[in-house]
Amino acid sequence: MTETVEPVVLPDIEKREQTGTRNDLEPGYLVICWDDPVNLMDYVTHVFQVVFGWPRPKAKFHMLQVHNQGKSVLARESMERAEHYVHQLQSYSLHATMERDA
Amino acid sequence: MKLIQRDGEDFVFHISKREKRLLLEMLNLYPLIPTAHHRVSRTASAKELGECQKLLEEALAERKRENKRQLVAMLNQERRFKEADGGYRLALGTVQMDWLLQVLNEIRVGSWVILGEPDEKQGKPVKPTTESLRHYAAMEFCGRFQMTLLDAFERQK
Repeated sequence: MTETVEPVVLPDIEKREQTGTRNDLEPGYLVICWDDPVNLMDYVTHVFQVVFGWPRPKAKFHMLQVHNQGKSVLARESMERAEHYVHQLQSYSLHATMERDA
Repeated sequence: MKLIQRDGEDFVFHISKREKRLLLEMLNLYPLIPTAHHRVSRTASAKELGECQKLLEEALAERKRENKRQLVAMLNQERRFKEADGGYRLALGTVQMDWLLQVLNEIRVGSWVILGEPDEKQGKPVKPTTESLRHYAAMEFCGRFQMTLLDAFERQK
């Protein structure tokens, strides 16, 4: 659907990673998208493709997981990268949060 | 509103006069979601992710200001809508379409938030009042425009 839409990548990510503490750099945070009754399924698929650069089948798989199971873990990342993804997803008004991986 | 022409990343839609008026009315509602609605985490304490929460609110507020600025510029751009066949031609690139989807969804979700986050599956329907019907209509209209844009993206494949 959106192969020609460039994935959203902030150019300063790597620079910011250099300045974090060791704890911040460890992939200890889960990026989770939660189900809600308002976001359209095709829209959620589209957003996953744009934000993560995923092919449509993978984006659709996670969208259906959100729809059927109430949530989907989209990524396991350092604090800074998880924060970046949550900012991107929430700018599209998706219900996404970062949670510490227990 | 329907897609009538596609050339690579450029799309042309036909939009009737009534749809155009409706679209502009919807876009004028932007933004609707209160900043405090956005939560960075469901479980983390304020001590743990307080700074992240603050950054999220600041980043989203800044993005919404920029979106509003672009929206006003777009709505005032006469050549954006060209009269044709009793309606208008609306030309958009993929980046603009993605941006418009984002803005329309903010209005859709914001209307839902204002309605008290109704959820029919959970036995929490919309309570019909004059005010709630206005927001319910905004939700539905934005959804229709979104589906047209998403369908165009799908055809691009």
